[in-house]
Amino acid sequence: MAKKAKSRASKTQKDVLDLLRKHGSRIYDDLDHGRFPNFEIPSRSVGNIVYDTKLRQYVLGKSAALRSSKNTSQLRSFTQLMWLAFFANRLTQEKKSSTLRDVYYSSQAFAIDFDDQSESDNIIVDLEAVLAKPREAMHIFPEERSSVFGDLDIEYTVPGYEGKRMNLSNHPDGYAIGPSLTSAELVGTSAELVIAVEKGGLFTRFVEEQVDKKFKSIIVDTGGQAPRSTRTLLKRLHDELSLPVIILTDGDVYGEHIAMVIKSGSANAAHLRELTVPDAKWVGVWASDIERYDLPTIPMTDSDIKRCHDLQKDPRYSHGIWKKELEVFLKIKRKAELEAFSKYGLTNITDRYLPQKIELARSL
Amino acid sequence: MAAERFNQISPSEFFYRNRDLAGFSNPTRSLYTAVREFVENSLDACDQRGILPSVRLVIRAEDPEARDPRTYVLTVHDNGPGVAVEHVPLAFGTVLYGSKFGLKQARGMFGLGATMAILYGQITTNKPVHVSSSTDGKTKDTFEILLDIQKNKPVILKHATSKARQRGLSVSITLEGDYSKAGSKIRDYVYQTSLITPYATISFEDPKGETFRYDRILKSMPPPPTVINPHPHGVDVETIRRMILESRRDLVSTGNGAADRLVRALGLKNGDAGYDVVARRVAQRWKRLSPAARLPAALATALKCSPRDLPEMTIHDIDVADDTITYHDGIAGAAKTAQLDRRQPYYSYLEEVAAGEPLQSFLTARFQRVGPRTAERFAKFAAFKPERRIGTLDNRELVRLSDSLQAYGEFLSPDPSCLAPLGQEPLRRGMAKFFEPDFLSVVMRSASAYSGFPFVVEMGIAYGGGIQTRGIKAYRFANRIPLLYDEGSDVVLKVINDMDWNRYKVKGEAPLVIATHICSTRIPYKTVGKENVADRPEIERELRLGLQFLARKLSSYMSRRGKAEAAKKRANLYAKYIPLVSQFCTELAGRKAEPKYAAMLKLEGRDG
Repeated sequence: MAKKAKSRASKTQKDVLDLLRKHGSRIYDDLDHGRFPNFEIPSRSVGNIVYDTKLRQYVLGKSAALRSSKNTSQLRSFTQLMWLAFFANRLTQEKKSSTLRDVYYSSQAFAIDFDDQSESDNIIVDLEAVLAKPREAMHIFPEERSSVFGDLDIEYTVPGYEGKRMNLSNHPDGYAIGPSLTSAELVGTSAELVIAVEKGGLFTRFVEEQVDKKFKSIIVDTGGQAPRSTRTLLKRLHDELSLPVIILTDGDVYGEHIAMVIKSGSANAAHLRELTVPDAKWVGVWASDIERYDLPTIPMTDSDIKRCHDLQKDPRYSHGIWKKELEVFLKIKRKAELEAFSKYGLTNITDRYLPQKIELARSL
Repeated sequence: MAAERFNQISPSEFFYRNRDLAGFSNPTRSLYTAVREFVENSLDACDQRGILPSVRLVIRAEDPEARDPRTYVLTVHDNGPGVAVEHVPLAFGTVLYGSKFGLKQARGMFGLGATMAILYGQITTNKPVHVSSSTDGKTKDTFEILLDIQKNKPVILKHATSKARQRGLSVSITLEGDYSKAGSKIRDYVYQTSLITPYATISFEDPKGETFRYDRILKSMPPPPTVINPHPHGVDVETIRRMILESRRDLVSTGNGAADRLVRALGLKNGDAGYDVVARRVAQRWKRLSPAARLPAALATALKCSPRDLPEMTIHDIDVADDTITYHDGIAGAAKTAQLDRRQPYYSYLEEVAAGEPLQSFLTARFQRVGPRTAERFAKFAAFKPERRIGTLDNRELVRLSDSLQAYGEFLSPDPSCLAPLGQEPLRRGMAKFFEPDFLSVVMRSASAYSGFPFVVEMGIAYGGGIQTRGIKAYRFANRIPLLYDEGSDVVLKVINDMDWNRYKVKGEAPLVIATHICSTRIPYKTVGKENVADRPEIERELRLGLQFLARKLSSYMSRRGKAEAAKKRANLYAKYIPLVSQFCTELAGRKAEPKYAAMLKLEGRDG
């Protein structure tokens, strides 16, 4: 049974274009009246990043910096920001996608000089903060790719493919989560669940074992720390198709944090609100699973232990399973990878562990 | 054991043996020093007569193929007053003959250095000095002179008189030198001398055939200094002793006509005025002689000479304790001593003369800044009676007088009229022409004194423009002489380096020139080479205050300049970026025409 999705992608695009026009008009008026225009950019300094318990994610506080074109030390970066808005406007209108690196090189055609890519990357984050929109909404994508597989119908919106539909279970290697997929309309699915796994190896195993069919699920490979396009897709699957999301990671402190970032964002992206899936559930591998399933382990390194202590200071880790599992890690000082289940046979994880965890997730 | 022999040596011989002291230690230094001595003598001579100097310096290698160190011919021509023909042999053929004995500011002292250069030339090449002098611009006298070192006497090899085209002096010596090493210093010297003497035209033709010419920038000269008496703080025991002798000599010098008056007073005719007749008449009529006639009477009797010969006699000393009188007999050309006869009536008169002036009038007449009242108060301070005769002071009393002159704090500060600073305007004009700077400021401090010697500091600071140096370049001058060597230990450099230049907005390696000129009757040089000035606190203070004054001026210029530069930079940035912003926002806003921002840019560029 297919669910009908609303046209989210075109709405996001219209929002972005409206915002850009709004800022452009404001600056046009300033110049036309002989005033030096400026941008108010929410501050991303550590002191201004706070955890919002209602939104269940990190957000920026109230402090903002004024970037003025009158101030000669800010004029250059003001112009860069202005150019980026102009460039994003063209990208979005023409439905062309580009990468961070593209942006860096494109600037040179307009006599806008960036010293290096990290300078242009920073300006991109500035624009995200000004508009409170992720760069993907402005058609700027990162290099890294992750994959998706399952019974999901999409309809492309990118030029040349408009209206073309695709089912994401036709190719067993899965589909790369790139610009065209991120901006596609989600038409319908028979799935009832999204399973995000940390590793490509497990993703392939899940496809082979037909986890999508057995558990009516869409399988997403996050490729380690989930890229923002992947997080956007997860959020859309949850919000637009009302699918619950569960997350499987390695049984270590980094895996726990991968799950946390999907659920409630990262401090780096505290200026954005559309990247989190607060209802996503981390189902394993937990520290407590290591004993329960008698998994082969590796000792934790010093940096693992330090990371545990760092995360204990984060308010999101101050309660529930997040707090409890960190404490267990620190107690046993050992960790286990997803592949550890192969000790009991290659399909052990899909035959035994996964059904138990899905069952558990329903009860959480 | 052989008996030791003590020989008196002549001044020439003394300098021959100690030529290192005077800057003639090696071919490089010697060539440079010789240039200095002759150029400075020429400039001094012109200054003293108020003549705008034109000095031409020529150095040629005797054998252009030879390698350094080699023989050079050094010639200096000037348009000065020249040297009278009768003085030429002594002036250029003896050591310690010169015309600069007065107490006033001059570049050199006594003309000693020039004779040293001649001496050096002679001992390195055995060639005579060529001198050509014209005092009237019509005839000139040309000499070739060697110096007899042991006798300190000139040996004239040639003397000719011919027609002259212009007044002036030309001196040419042959000497061993090293131009390849001394060249840059000599060029610096000529350059810097021109800077501090902007009223002179100085040209230099070097051995390679290059000519460096600096034309005068000013057509007027700073007023010449006056000769004045010494300040009480500026004398020592030996100077006082000499001043007392000199005062006594003044008392016994007979003026013109004194002999005639005496002859008339004695009722004689000129023809009978031989010693015997005069002595007899003097003995008979002593009591009736007027005070004016008594001096020639006493002297003629004591020296046993005719009154007519008295102008040829120079009295050196009257020693009352020994009853002797020593004098120079100009007719015989020898020093003589005569015994005084206690029984003669003139004896008590001469005794009275020998006692000299009273202390009070001695101080008033022979020192600057001492009036009768100051002299009286000083006498009380030094525990002398004001009427005490200075000729009767014994050695211990002389020392006490000298010490008291130093210690007494109530004397007025020294009279600066003997100083000849260049003046603010000439210094400004000179620096402006030489450096073509963006900013220039000069200052002349009011006169001050150290140890009884008056001095004046004037200085200028120049920034940017034609100045290409990185960092501060200091030009040091003392009595219009550039100081080129031993920069590191000089008081000027100390003061410059002590300044916190950041406070005055001078940052990094700023293109900055500082010229300082110290004028004094005696510059406290650290060494005989006259290259660096010692850090006397009084001089250091004046330099510091002067430099701070200039630095404040520079600082306000720098902030004006900084603001203008920042405004320009800002305007450039706006001109570069705002049109881009305009272009981008026009497209973003979906407009066709760009906003009207041009006026905004203009306004900003002007405001800064």
